[in-house]
Amino acid sequence: MIKVENLEVRFGGVKPIDQMSVTFPGGTCGLIGPNGAGKTTFFNVLSGFVKPSGGSVTAFDEDLLAMADYRRARWGLRRTFQTEQAIEELSLYDNVAMLEEHSKNNGGSSRRDDVEGALEFVGLGKLNSNTKVGTLGARERRLVEIARAVVGKPRAVLLDEPAAGLPDEETEHMGSVIRRIPDEIGALVILVDHDMTLVSACCELTSVLDFGKLIASGPTDEVLRDEQVIRAYLGAEDV
Amino acid sequence: MPSWHDFQPFIVTGLALGGVYALSGAGMVVLYRTTGVLNLAFGAVGAMGALIAWDLINNSLWPEWPSYGVAVLFCAAVTLAYGVVIGPALARRDALVKATATLGLALILLGTMSWIWSDKARSQVLPTSTHAFDVGQVAVTWTQVVAFGLGVVVVFGTAAFLKYTKLGTAMRGLANDREITATLGVPVRSVEAQAWLVSGILAGVSGLLLSDLVGLDAVSLTFLVISSLAAALIAQLRSLVVTFFAALGVGLVSAMATPITSISEYRNMAPFVLATIALLWISRKREISFTGTGLGNGRS
Amino acid sequence: MDAAEASHDSLMTRAMRPARNSDTGERIRLAVIAVLLAFVLLVLPSMLSAYWTDVATSVAIYTIVALGLALLMGRVGLVSLGQVAVLALGAWVGARLLFATGLPFPVVTIMTGLITMVLGSLIGLPALRVSGLYLALITLMLAGAITVVLATTDFPNGGAGFLGHTEATTGAHEIRRPSIATGEHAYFRYVVIWAALMFILALWHVRGKPGRAWATIRQSEPAALAAGINISLYKMWAFALASFMTGIAGALLAGSSGTLYNLTFPTQDSIILLAVVLMGGIYSLWGAVVAGLLIKLLPALLDNWGLPPDLLTILFGIGVIQVLTTAPAGLVDQFPKDMAKLGRFLWRLVGSPGARTPGTAGSE
Repeated sequence: MIKVENLEVRFGGVKPIDQMSVTFPGGTCGLIGPNGAGKTTFFNVLSGFVKPSGGSVTAFDEDLLAMADYRRARWGLRRTFQTEQAIEELSLYDNVAMLEEHSKNNGGSSRRDDVEGALEFVGLGKLNSNTKVGTLGARERRLVEIARAVVGKPRAVLLDEPAAGLPDEETEHMGSVIRRIPDEIGALVILVDHDMTLVSACCELTSVLDFGKLIASGPTDEVLRDEQVIRAYLGAEDV
Repeated sequence: MPSWHDFQPFIVTGLALGGVYALSGAGMVVLYRTTGVLNLAFGAVGAMGALIAWDLINNSLWPEWPSYGVAVLFCAAVTLAYGVVIGPALARRDALVKATATLGLALILLGTMSWIWSDKARSQVLPTSTHAFDVGQVAVTWTQVVAFGLGVVVVFGTAAFLKYTKLGTAMRGLANDREITATLGVPVRSVEAQAWLVSGILAGVSGLLLSDLVGLDAVSLTFLVISSLAAALIAQLRSLVVTFFAALGVGLVSAMATPITSISEYRNMAPFVLATIALLWISRKREISFTGTGLGNGRS
Repeated sequence: MDAAEASHDSLMTRAMRPARNSDTGERIRLAVIAVLLAFVLLVLPSMLSAYWTDVATSVAIYTIVALGLALLMGRVGLVSLGQVAVLALGAWVGARLLFATGLPFPVVTIMTGLITMVLGSLIGLPALRVSGLYLALITLMLAGAITVVLATTDFPNGGAGFLGHTEATTGAHEIRRPSIATGEHAYFRYVVIWAALMFILALWHVRGKPGRAWATIRQSEPAALAAGINISLYKMWAFALASFMTGIAGALLAGSSGTLYNLTFPTQDSIILLAVVLMGGIYSLWGAVVAGLLIKLLPALLDNWGLPPDLLTILFGIGVIQVLTTAPAGLVDQFPKDMAKLGRFLWRLVGSPGARTPGTAGSE
């Protein structure tokens, strides 16, 4: 469970996040909102790239904000990025193995098993894991990012528009992978996306941000029908 | 410890040098804000201009003022040519790559200067140096007055220009965001070219002044850019007014260290040390960027 | 959609092909390197006069320096404009230790490397939190400061005291060389062996955990942080490694020239070093060899042909601009690419029209 209380972020006079309080209990939780609502800023706070000016984040009973940024991955926080950041000159294997390299060894299974397991999980098992990621297409790269997010024993996986730019069938595959994470990997998932089909398909609960404020939170289909939410999106997205 | 009396001439020297650093520092700041290029070849360009002037005057026996004119013209032309030819090719790359490319220009100029003129000791005396007057117990040459005065005029003039004129506003727009400014109908290439041109003119003028105040040596003139750079960095490459005062500071610190025998030999370190302190101060807050380190796999 | 599907397919086909090709490629490369090394160590010295052996020794020494800088720039993406100042520091420390202690040369060389590593890391320390451009500028500033200090202090020449300098001519000695390698040819071989060791050290880093972390940092610092990489630590490590190598080169330089008074380390040289490293190619370790050749062999050749060395400064300046605007991977990458293109073209002329030539996925 990740509990956010009165979180506030200031950039000069702007408040990308304004007194945000929400709980992500488990499973797959959606986080949606119009462009500029603060979703990626929220992820950046969780990752440690942005320092909040107030509030707290308690993740699995630990104070997340007190941890140094690079330690959070070791602790079990993983994320993907809006513009995918798979490392081009490294192989599939190295891209995923690196996550384990810099984390505590979870004991028991070998690194090779973990890496191949993760690649298998996202559907890249059939590829030669020595291939350089730079030679792969967008779909494969986004899946590599997911593999990096699920290798080892992560506690929380933050997905930032994981299917952005992908055609519908790939998005469906992505959705099926995401849905399996809480049960098969055992991590809490927070999914940020504009694609409501994907969000509906993956998330039981969804929270909505608008101008840095939380305007709705609850079961996904209820939230998507909420008047306030629709008004916030007016003219922006298709559902 | 030397007395106040001993320091006086060095205060004058320091102010004069500071004036030149201010006018070249301002040139660097405006160019950087407009084009994203920190022109590290600034000193080399000025040095070559000064050498051309020297050559025309001493070898071709030209009259002085036209020679200085040619020098400044040359500096403007070289800088403009670089900006127009190389600038666009690197426009999308980050500041580090752009600055490193100017180092290439510096090498080309250094090599050319060394080839044509070699390292012989030369001196350049500007006509303004032949006249001096006394301020208290110190003799002040007109060159020093001009150096300081130009520093004031250029810096504050540029600040006003940026704020109040159309071209200046266009430059500030570019500094803010090149793409958006372009979509507003501002002729980006033209504005940038003008920034390059002015930068070149300032390089020429400062090169001439420094060749008189400091000496006509290609390498040392080239690396005097560090002092202007130090001033610009102290101003965080933003405020022209701060650049001015920082430049005076740099000039004064270097000059006033001269009579203090214990550190005099190390006075050339002053701009380096000041620049380092400035850089460390600017970078206190760590920035994380998504654009990699610039020299990355070629993807910008 | 068809073209996209088609290219997608070929990407997948390439990715699914087993990796046997790169193994044989690897073995061929090792064989070539072994032959080259044997040639350089065994055959080359006898072909060169004393003067050219000296030049060759300089090439080898500067290859080590270039290697350090290439690692910094090509692997981590950090630009240092002060490596020559670090080299000067290394030479100074090496000379001082060689005079002050009776320790064997290799031991002193390693000590020099370690001391320079610490000093170089101190330079890197404040630079850790700093972005690319500002880091480059700080290294330039610190190098300039060091150059001023070195210019005003005296070089060690066998005297007493911290500076190890004596005015008296009777107390001044030449810097000694390793007992097994006092002659020109022997010293050349000695330096080449050190260079080979440095290459192995570099490879060990690049292929291992630091190399992967550096690749990530270079492409995307957020991705590195999200992967749990301690960016400051790995940047520091890169600086330390580059300084270590440069320190070793410094000690070898001291031994090579016998006295530091003949050597100058102007700030301009740091920029020239940057230029040749860029031109040689920062993404492959071989670029360092090209850089060494550019910076030390070309001037000697020009001198031999009666041409002014300033031409090289101009050439290097043009090289910097050219590399940055068009061929970011430098000569080492560009030349084989051009050769490969030529090869494919010829193959297509010779082979059947329908045959597809293997792609160049994963070069290096």
